[in-house]
Amino acid sequence: MDQARLTEYLRRKMPQADDLRVIGLKRISGGSSRESYAFDVEWNENGERRTRPMIGRRDPTGGLLKSERQREFRVIDAMNRAGLRVPEAIFLEIDPAVMDRPFFVMHRVVGGRTSNGAFPATEPDHLREKIAHQFLDELVHLQALDYKALGLGFLGEPQNLGEPARVQAAHWTEIYHRDRMGEHYALLDAAFAWLEANPVEADRITLVHGDFRSGNYLYDDNGMMAMLDWEMAHLGDPMEDLGWAAMRFWSREDIAAGLMEREAFYRLYEEKSGHPVDRKRLRFYQVLGDAKMAVICLTGIRDFVEGRTSDSVMPFLKVLLPALYGDIALQLELA
Amino acid sequence: MPRPTLKELMTGLQGTVVQTLLPELTSPYAQGQAMSLALMMVHAVDSIEKEPAYDAAEIKDLRTTIAMLRRLEKSHLKRGCGDLKKMLVSGAKAAARHDQREMEATVSAFVTALALGRLDDIAAKRVRAWVHRHLERQKAFLGSSIPG
Repeated sequence: MDQARLTEYLRRKMPQADDLRVIGLKRISGGSSRESYAFDVEWNENGERRTRPMIGRRDPTGGLLKSERQREFRVIDAMNRAGLRVPEAIFLEIDPAVMDRPFFVMHRVVGGRTSNGAFPATEPDHLREKIAHQFLDELVHLQALDYKALGLGFLGEPQNLGEPARVQAAHWTEIYHRDRMGEHYALLDAAFAWLEANPVEADRITLVHGDFRSGNYLYDDNGMMAMLDWEMAHLGDPMEDLGWAAMRFWSREDIAAGLMEREAFYRLYEEKSGHPVDRKRLRFYQVLGDAKMAVICLTGIRDFVEGRTSDSVMPFLKVLLPALYGDIALQLELA
Repeated sequence: MPRPTLKELMTGLQGTVVQTLLPELTSPYAQGQAMSLALMMVHAVDSIEKEPAYDAAEIKDLRTTIAMLRRLEKSHLKRGCGDLKKMLVSGAKAAARHDQREMEATVSAFVTALALGRLDDIAAKRVRAWVHRHLERQKAFLGSSIPG
């Protein structure tokens, strides 16, 4: 992002702000589906000098996911209104002329830390336990929301309880066939065939984050601060997020999400949500989760190989695939 | 032999990234990119040595597995497995012309059949054994990293 163009844009969007300046603009890692930039905005208003930390998220030239920024912006905005721990969505710009590619601006949560995957083993137990509760509280809150009242019907309401599993499996199968570059990955071929042959039915339709896991929230010593990365949000089966969060890939051995022993994690979810954990659906969504994560890696690798991104993290995704294939083999009893 | 060799070149360039380039970078994003570049160079150096052996072992195992499945074809492939029988024919032809991708397609069809419960115990045991060996080779080559 260009500092002068960003400053000019924000001056137009904030006409009440005098002497607006963008300070410390820098690209940051994380949120791999978009380019992320951190900056502070300073301005005069009603005789006061004000400052606000912000994040700019711009569409990439290539990368892990192809997602629609207007959809993500509207979901974040709705979650903020609903009282979930999410940063405020501020401006959406879909005109590529402004900053070469569409982008949006959101509030930046300052002082938080995160992990790449499982909650770090080095953090103290009292913090781990607190965040385990907050993590499931957020998930249960998300699943209890009236998505229609929040204006999220545009995400595509399933017509019946069998549709979420079929749609998700078909969606990721299609991306697999698009991005496998003609290769045959035996475990992925098997996983997608199994998903097609073993569909499950949701017990209810809820909002699904799509990437609800450790590594996608900011926290500090006082607990969870904000849930991030809403670009895969959709309407579907609540077991999808629970299954994804507890996948071995985002966990540490039997510690789901690095937060709590897996069975205790499921029991706590049942207590908080009042809904049973359906093991058949959970298995379906964990097989789908492993296959989906492998396909996301293949998309990044393809974009790197074909020159749509030069992000040096993309070829590194190759080393994540054996763990995902191993999990698929374990779940489907293939080895 | 012209020096530096490819392995020496990659090892040296990894040092250039870590010792020369990285200390000069101020942006956290650029530092992250440089670090993952250095890590990929470690992987590349490792691959120069391991990849030919990995590929050779994969091809040998695919060929052996397809031949073994062909021997089981008459007695152990259930009725309604015509698609798998056809795959075995094309897999055998692929083995003769060293076509790795086509051999992978054949074995992949059998792994899918295993996942769907279409194989009898004997055939299932053979396919499971291939999956096990395949995963072990991948782990030995690429490791079994998870984000953390």
